[in-house]
Amino acid sequence: MSEPVIRMEKIIKTYYEGKPNELEILHGIDLTVNQGEFVSIVGESGSGKSTLMNIIGVLDRQTAGSYFLEGQDVGGMSDEVRSAIRNRRIGFVFQNFNLLPRANALKNVMVPLMYGETKVKDQKERAMEMLAMVGMEERAGHRPNELSGGQKQRVAIARAMINDPAIILADEPTGALDSKTGHMVMDLFHRLHEEQGKTIVLITHSQELASETQRIVTLLDGEIVADKGGAR
Amino acid sequence: MFLENIKEAITSIFSNKMRSLLTMLGIIIGISSVIIITTIGGSIQSTLTATLNSMGGNTVSAYVEARYPETDEEWDTWVYPDMTDEDYVTQEMIDGLIEAYPDEISGIAAQSNLGYGQIKDETDADNYANVSVAGITPEYLDYMKVEMYAGRNLTKTDNETQKKVCVIADTMAERYFDGRDPIGEKVSVVLSDGSIHDFVVVGVYKYNQALFGQVDTSIPEKDRSTMMIIPLQTCFKLQGTDQTGYDSFNLLLTPLADVEQATADITSYFDKIYADNENFHIYAYNMQSDLGMINTVLNVITVAVSGIAAISLIVGGVGVMNIMLVSITERTREIGVRMALGAKRRTIRQQFVIEAIVLCLIGGTIGILIGVGIGALLGTVAGFIIQNMYAEYANYIIMEVHPSGSAIMLSLFFSMLTGVFFGYYPANKAAKMEVIDALRYE
Repeated sequence: MSEPVIRMEKIIKTYYEGKPNELEILHGIDLTVNQGEFVSIVGESGSGKSTLMNIIGVLDRQTAGSYFLEGQDVGGMSDEVRSAIRNRRIGFVFQNFNLLPRANALKNVMVPLMYGETKVKDQKERAMEMLAMVGMEERAGHRPNELSGGQKQRVAIARAMINDPAIILADEPTGALDSKTGHMVMDLFHRLHEEQGKTIVLITHSQELASETQRIVTLLDGEIVADKGGAR
Repeated sequence: MFLENIKEAITSIFSNKMRSLLTMLGIIIGISSVIIITTIGGSIQSTLTATLNSMGGNTVSAYVEARYPETDEEWDTWVYPDMTDEDYVTQEMIDGLIEAYPDEISGIAAQSNLGYGQIKDETDADNYANVSVAGITPEYLDYMKVEMYAGRNLTKTDNETQKKVCVIADTMAERYFDGRDPIGEKVSVVLSDGSIHDFVVVGVYKYNQALFGQVDTSIPEKDRSTMMIIPLQTCFKLQGTDQTGYDSFNLLLTPLADVEQATADITSYFDKIYADNENFHIYAYNMQSDLGMINTVLNVITVAVSGIAAISLIVGGVGVMNIMLVSITERTREIGVRMALGAKRRTIRQQFVIEAIVLCLIGGTIGILIGVGIGALLGTVAGFIIQNMYAEYANYIIMEVHPSGSAIMLSLFFSMLTGVFFGYYPANKAAKMEVIDALRYE
């Protein structure tokens, strides 16, 4: 069997280390996500799911334990290398979209290419392809403030996909959307999962949303309390 | 990446036009003031240089000067010594000088006034002409840039043999001789002391009011005085003195001669000859040393204004730093997003340094444009004032108004430096942000 995309062993995250107000958020998480899985991580606020997401997304470092992304131990890597890994291997989709306000949809989708080490040819064509995939090619020239929430999130998904990452990490992607648009965005994730075999990690507080995924990992007070199959 | 950053910076600067403009104000003021001063200074400098050169800048003037006492005690009893025959500069000395430096010195232009007189027509009492008689060396007309109209200029032989020949003005010739060819005609001049001298007209020069002064139109044309030129040695003879040498003269230089070098050579040449002369020595100088003084003054002003500009740039730079810090705080989220999408710390730092540089460069460019505009305007105005004040020299004033290229390059360089210097701290602050904190910033 091939190396899992995510392999976490006894991940501990402590804030204010060594200080009187020291606070351990994650108490030794073991988590393995294989290639092509659609996993949701569910938990109430304060359960540590955001902290876990930051570690999975190579945005933050664990205090102890080890994290292998595609077999590579990312915990000990330098900031520079971690930036490159975020750029190439992780596609972020945020609750509040996080598009650059002064750039149009096309430019926003191209941002990861701009920060890539290797020069990608035909950047514009590639970005247009991504926009077409999410059905946004006609709005390529629009700025974020000219787009609806659902459209913004679709642009963000196109941006997440442009470097063909190992995982799509979606943090409450429907949190800022109404339920209809939310469903549309979820359908897009399902399509990416089914048609392109993308590994997707969805972080949410909503049991309902989580139940749409293959596998539900439930987090409570910094520990995994359940790990079972979902509705699909 | 670099180009992207510049585009990004321009977008960001233009998305906040008013704020950017106010931020750039210090830099605009600093740079434009330097450019204005250097443009005006440069224009004055080159106008003076061009004008003086056209009016015989390529000469060295010299005169016999008393040796002044060196101590205060000596000054108390000192009187200006009388000049004797040995104190004058002789034609032999000049010939020796030209022989010693043939590559530098081509001739001598000296002049001595004989006085005012009147030419009288013996056959027609109503026909007369007022003249001022001046003895000159043959080179003098060239030196004064006077052109011949008819006949010939005075020659060396005329001078050496003290011939009684003269060159008259075209305006006078036309009126006095009433259309007849004046060349070869004899004129009688009654000088103000009553003595009468006859001269043969050998040439006619073109009257030039820039050189001889404006025509005084309050006097009837008939009574206006023009210059009548005779050989210098003839003049000395008529003056009744034993003087055959020069006490004040101009040395004409060859076109390629270096004026400063020639001045030094002339000084050292005469220093040797006058080494034994207790009372007098030769003082040689050139217009370029006058220019040198003007240049020094202008340079001092430029340095002073540059100092003020430097302060203004520092103040402007602090403004840039301040606004960059504000901008970075405002864009914390954006920085977080960029980092999450793979921007490295140095990329973020580069982005904001470039933004500060572009901001300063735009400010610098606006400053340069304003400076060149105002400088050229003031330079032109100054030129017109000079031309009106010295209207008789108008034809000789060569106006040159142009901004200083080196000042512009230097200004751009310093605005860039300001951007780097004051942009680095905020940019570094941005680069040091933690990605999760920046992402969560509201």
